[in-house]
Amino acid sequence: MRAAILTDTTKCIGCSECVIACKKVNHLPNDIPQRWDMNDGLSADNWTSVIGEPADKFVRKQCRHCLEPACVSACPVGAMHKTELGPVIYESAKCIGCRYCMMACPFGIPRYQWSDPVPHVRKCILCYDRIKEGGQPACTEVCPTKATIYGDRDQLLAIAHQRLRENPGKYINRVWGESEVGGTSVLYISDIDLSFLTYGEQFGKMPLPDATRPAMEAVPFAFVGMGAAMAGLYWIIKRRMKLEAERADEKAGGKPGSEE
Amino acid sequence: MDRVRRLKLILWMLLGLAAAVAITRFFFGLGATTHLSDATPWGLWVGFDVMGGVALAAGGFVVTATVYIFKLDEFHSIVRPAVLTAFLGYVAVAVGLLFDLGLPWHIWYMTIYWNPHSPLFEVGWCVMLYLTVLTLEFFPVPAEDISALASVRRFLVKLRIPLVIVGIALSTLHQSSLGSLFLIMPYRLFPLWYSPILPVLFFVSAIGLGLMMVILESHFTAYLYRRKPETKLMRPLGEAAGWVLILYLALRFGDLAYRGQLHYLFASAWQVKLFWVEIAAMAIVPLVMLWQRQFRKSSNWQWATAAIATTGIVLNRIDVGGLADLSRGGSLYLPEWTEIVISLGIVAAATLLFLFMVEHFRVWEHRPADPDADPRKLPEFNKVGFTWLGTPVIAGRVKYSLAFVLAAGFGFLLLGSPRAASMGATPTPTHRARGNVGNIGLQLAAARTGKPAPATAGTGVLYLDADLTNWGVTFYHQREIDRNGGEKSCVICHHMNMPHDQESGCYECHRDMYLPTDSFRHDWHASPKGANLACVQCHERGYPRTSAHVKPCSDCHKDLVPAGATIKITTYIAPSYVDAMHTLCIGCHVKVAQKENKPEIARCAECHKGKLNFAAAQNYLYSRHAPAGRLVVLPPPKVSEVH
Ligand code: SF4
Ligand code: SF4
Ligand code: SF4
Repeated sequence: MRAAILTDTTKCIGCSECVIACKKVNHLPNDIPQRWDMNDGLSADNWTSVIGEPADKFVRKQCRHCLEPACVSACPVGAMHKTELGPVIYESAKCIGCRYCMMACPFGIPRYQWSDPVPHVRKCILCYDRIKEGGQPACTEVCPTKATIYGDRDQLLAIAHQRLRENPGKYINRVWGESEVGGTSVLYISDIDLSFLTYGEQFGKMPLPDATRPAMEAVPFAFVGMGAAMAGLYWIIKRRMKLEAERADEKAGGKPGSEE
Repeated sequence: MDRVRRLKLILWMLLGLAAAVAITRFFFGLGATTHLSDATPWGLWVGFDVMGGVALAAGGFVVTATVYIFKLDEFHSIVRPAVLTAFLGYVAVAVGLLFDLGLPWHIWYMTIYWNPHSPLFEVGWCVMLYLTVLTLEFFPVPAEDISALASVRRFLVKLRIPLVIVGIALSTLHQSSLGSLFLIMPYRLFPLWYSPILPVLFFVSAIGLGLMMVILESHFTAYLYRRKPETKLMRPLGEAAGWVLILYLALRFGDLAYRGQLHYLFASAWQVKLFWVEIAAMAIVPLVMLWQRQFRKSSNWQWATAAIATTGIVLNRIDVGGLADLSRGGSLYLPEWTEIVISLGIVAAATLLFLFMVEHFRVWEHRPADPDADPRKLPEFNKVGFTWLGTPVIAGRVKYSLAFVLAAGFGFLLLGSPRAASMGATPTPTHRARGNVGNIGLQLAAARTGKPAPATAGTGVLYLDADLTNWGVTFYHQREIDRNGGEKSCVICHHMNMPHDQESGCYECHRDMYLPTDSFRHDWHASPKGANLACVQCHERGYPRTSAHVKPCSDCHKDLVPAGATIKITTYIAPSYVDAMHTLCIGCHVKVAQKENKPEIARCAECHKGKLNFAAAQNYLYSRHAPAGRLVVLPPPKVSEVH
């Protein structure tokens, strides 16, 4: 089983039950609008939000739990990591606070506790504790219209495609999250363009960790290569200088007495 | 005062200013001292202090390679200053990182928790190792003067060539890996900067910058200590840097052309202008200057060329590190003055250390003579037997200390209220309820008897709109009294602990929509101008003087509080207006929802129709709270009420 969430934006009524449920189970405090917010409703104290733009459409935003997460590949200490089950979770005890995960995430999901002298990164963890015990995330559990549902990724994909097939014209013919940046566990089907979730960018299929992989794989070779090249150059230049010096000596030796 | 002293005075001032900011940074967090945001989590401290610092320190590996590997012995005299600069540069990078990391005390976790996929992990390790190498490379210099360390020194000198080679290899790795950091962000970095060959670009430009930095430093210190400028020696370095910059330009534009991104060069985004400024400063202008005849002879010309190139390459690092992001969420990152002060402070500290080292150890062949020293003064001999014609260790220490302290004080003044800044909330003024609560006595009497109240009693209707957005609620005073348990319930809403205040409204304490405020004025109670109370008049003797061991307010304020009511102070901080409204409103909503089986009225979205930002609860339909057919005329807010 690969845990996943499918959100059907046409069914969402914008009641924000999911937001409140998430706040409750994760013990998140009230929001205050802050200087560092991105105006999508997510913050360190709000791991999911319902975006009500354009009018009368509601799109739920949360961490996508990428199949090959950029945040996980970026974190130098492995504080962000992908669990077997699917959720990408965060171990605050390991984090050094470099915020590389926030830079790396293409969806701009992780948020920081900027106001705290002991700050941590915060984002949706797909209710890992609940689903580990066989439950389901709080947000999908409370959704009154079943607009956001929890299940196995393959089954949800099948459901999504079935809905697209059965209601031609109702949806845009695309499952968001099926293959972008290697696929995500949080999927969407929608009747409106969801590119605002990716800041207007069209993501390719390549998982982002693949972009760094060649450079990282070259590291040992670069180290050994550079070291060997320098050692070799040192040896060659030294030897040549020695030879030159000997030759100069010989010359000097060939004309004895010239120095005196 | 001579140049050196004047410079040192300025540096100490910067250090003082930075100290004030540093304290605020560690007590109140990044929010209070930076302009970073969820949209741009990296900024100047990564771009300049870390990436710029590492690049600026590239002179170390370039010069050691030139002298020890390529055996260009004429440059031997600049090895020591270059290694010292590199060493101090990397120390500065480490210090800068401590400021930027959210949890700097976890920095060493990189040694125990490994994620070898992360370029940052590699950079971290390389920097740690290279700092060690630099320490070992430089250590023989101060050790020269300490006879006890002679054997260590001899050993390190023997180890020099392997150290140099390892140092070069490590530098290659992390100079380029700083570029690899950004490979994972193709959708964040502007296309003119993002490139799969970023690591190569970073490495090449670091070599150029290293060379330029050596020139800059040589001329600057020559000016400072009135030494003879090494114009002739610097010329080949400048020319070498020129070839490196040409290679860089070719790589950069070639890469843009190869990937078909050249059209961005003529796009209209502001990032494009930034790109041209950066390219002009880091390569084009310096290259043109290098080709002029003046570059051969004029130290000023060399100096200027190097300064422009250095600025350009550092700008490149800052751009990649956060400035040249595709703006997400419409926010543009520009560094806060506090961030700039910390960066300058770190540079100042490194420079002071550099000056200290060149004055006290044999970094140059000859230690600089102090131009301020009295020429008639006899040479002083210190205990290890070297001659130093000069001033005490820290000449002018009184002046420097004073500059430091005054600047720190000034810094604290400028910082204002870090507490508020760290909350990140823009202070929103709140306003009194509008309308007229009327004659409460008559209203109560009417309620008691069940007869309609006389006209003189007033309506008792208020309009609560604390932030003057015209979204508020009509508030029926009598209804609240009834609901909260009748005449004795005033104290539930009116705190009545403000001095000389019989009916303090919400507004009196909750003076900001989002920030909590002091409700109980402890300072007023203790002040001789206020209640002039001694501690034990309120706090119990023999117990900690906390809010847990204190008299209830009603012990003194008998006249203010209705009979039988008790206020016990549990905290000095009143919740914010929003928090107060939330608890007050939601409780009732939940109750009514249960009683009348209308779950929807307890849903957050019922009030928060704004949806986009959960906090923007603006669409509250206050008309629902007004019974049909009853009009409330609202007076405009008085200017004097605007707080
Ligand atoms: S959406 Fe962002 S934070 Fe969530 S798993 Fe993917 S990369 Fe990580
Ligand atoms: S901020 Fe923490 S979780 Fe994020 S990359 Fe850095 S160490 Fe990892
Ligand atoms: S899965 Fe859990 S943590 Fe994530 S948004 Fe839903 S309730 Fe919140």
